[in-house]
Amino acid sequence: MNSVIYHAFSQKDAKEFDIQHPGTQRAEAFVRAFLKRSMPRMSRQAQEDHLQRKAVVLEYFTHRKQKEKKKKSKGLSAKQRRELRLFDINPEQQRYSLFLPLHELWKQYIRDLCNGLKPDMQPQMIQAKLLKADLHGAIVSVTKSKCPSYVGITGILLQETKHIFKIITKEDRLKVIPKLNCVFTVEIDGFISYIYGSKFQLRSSERSAKKFKAKGTIDL
Amino acid sequence: MPAGKGRGEPNAGRTCVRKTMAMLCRLREVPRHLLVCEKSNFGHEKSRHRHLVETHYHNYRVSFLIPECGILSKELKDLVMDSGPYYFVKDLPLHELIAHEFINTFVKKGACYALTYNTNIDEDNTVALLPNGKLILSLDKDTYEEAGLQGRPSQYSGRKTMKFIVSIDLMDLSSKLDSKKYKRISWAFKEKKPLKFDFLLAWHQTGAEGSTMMSYFSNYRIQERQPKIALSTVTDLPCPVLRSGELRGEPEAACSAQELFEWLGAVFSNAELNNEPDNFISTYCCPQPSTVAAKACLCTITGFILPEKIRLLLEQLCRYFDEPKLAPWVTLSVQGFADSPVSWRENEHGFRKGGEHLYNFVVFSNRDYWLQLAVGANDDCPP
Repeated sequence: MNSVIYHAFSQKDAKEFDIQHPGTQRAEAFVRAFLKRSMPRMSRQAQEDHLQRKAVVLEYFTHRKQKEKKKKSKGLSAKQRRELRLFDINPEQQRYSLFLPLHELWKQYIRDLCNGLKPDMQPQMIQAKLLKADLHGAIVSVTKSKCPSYVGITGILLQETKHIFKIITKEDRLKVIPKLNCVFTVEIDGFISYIYGSKFQLRSSERSAKKFKAKGTIDL
Repeated sequence: MPAGKGRGEPNAGRTCVRKTMAMLCRLREVPRHLLVCEKSNFGHEKSRHRHLVETHYHNYRVSFLIPECGILSKELKDLVMDSGPYYFVKDLPLHELIAHEFINTFVKKGACYALTYNTNIDEDNTVALLPNGKLILSLDKDTYEEAGLQGRPSQYSGRKTMKFIVSIDLMDLSSKLDSKKYKRISWAFKEKKPLKFDFLLAWHQTGAEGSTMMSYFSNYRIQERQPKIALSTVTDLPCPVLRSGELRGEPEAACSAQELFEWLGAVFSNAELNNEPDNFISTYCCPQPSTVAAKACLCTITGFILPEKIRLLLEQLCRYFDEPKLAPWVTLSVQGFADSPVSWRENEHGFRKGGEHLYNFVVFSNRDYWLQLAVGANDDCPP
């Protein structure tokens, strides 16, 4: 509607009606004088402010991005896992002879890992590989322990959790040995390695990614 | 000290004072010694002299002093010369001591004593065999953790236990030949942690003549040794006057038991008892009142001496007063091995700053006696 009432003169019309562009300075002066005459009560500073339209910011709001709530799958708590009995071994399956093939498999795995165990290899290399290797199926024995009754227990490693080893001995007994304050011996083809259980308190899955630092004392 | 610190560090001044006080306390701390003195009569039925002599197992040195005596009587001399041989075996593995044959031949028939030689009780592993069949092992931390035998921590360990005591009853073991316990101990000594020691052995046999130690251990380097005997006569020895009824002594009439103990120590170390003020070595003076003995007989036997022999010696000294003699009293002192893991019976013994455990008899003419038992810091009160 405004465009009907007001629209700019074209060049031709301006020439016809003999209208001249006033020029910026003359236009400004004209506007100021006009404002002064129309609003005599307002000071010149107040008029300028009005023209400039300064807005006062009272509060500063930024809209927070709504974070999407991650829908985590809850998983099972330790109690529920124990009830499920996924990791229990039945008594009728607790026979040492059943797990000997597992031990052979493990020996083969370690041999492949170390590119064939030769007698003249550096023990450091084998130890470095063993640190990240999976020990299920190895024959471990306890050499040193703060509790004297654990010393001497030897058997095939069946399960490894964060704090314990589950071992089956030759007498078909399932023994649960805490790793803390124990030194274990693992033997492969004549290379004997000692595992200090106090520094080994990790799940086997997490151990492959962990860098071991020499911290503290290996005294029990 | 605190005055010198600026006002800006009040806490630093306080810690400085605390550290100095702690150091002074440590310097002032002397490890304690215990001396127990008691008196009784040999004829008294409840007299414990026999029990105490027999339960002090590892005796290193026996000395007796007889004032006013020039030559030893024949019986005493025979007894002294016959203070039994003892045996020294090098590198004997520990599993030999739990072998059934050993237990049946030596431990069960008579009293068998054994002690490791040249091992310090506070640093190394020490083994002792007592006549009642108990084998006591005092192991350091690493050996205990590797051997796998059940034991208890030593009584004299600080915050961190460094020593453990394992006690094995051989009589109990030999009664059940195939028990799990015996198998475990045998496995621990033979395969897990084979230990070898140099042993001092002595055997008092009762009963029929069986095989001797020399023949039994002929596979190992065994030597038979006789105890060293030193006989001397001391002239012009000032001796304190004692009264058998007064342990604490009377101010002008008799000396106390403690003064006698000190004086005896000075005599055994051959110190000059003249109270010379300018003597560099000793300014010890004999306790008053004292008499001067023209001559006194001092005899020392050093070796691994059996308590049975000491008992015979004590009885012979009692019989010394059967005939009237000039001497008012005689003394018999026995010192134990500083590195023995037990002192009396099975009380634990430690070294600390001088592992002494000794006892001293003073025998009077009326068969009264004084008994003084002394132990060092890491010891329980003697029984």
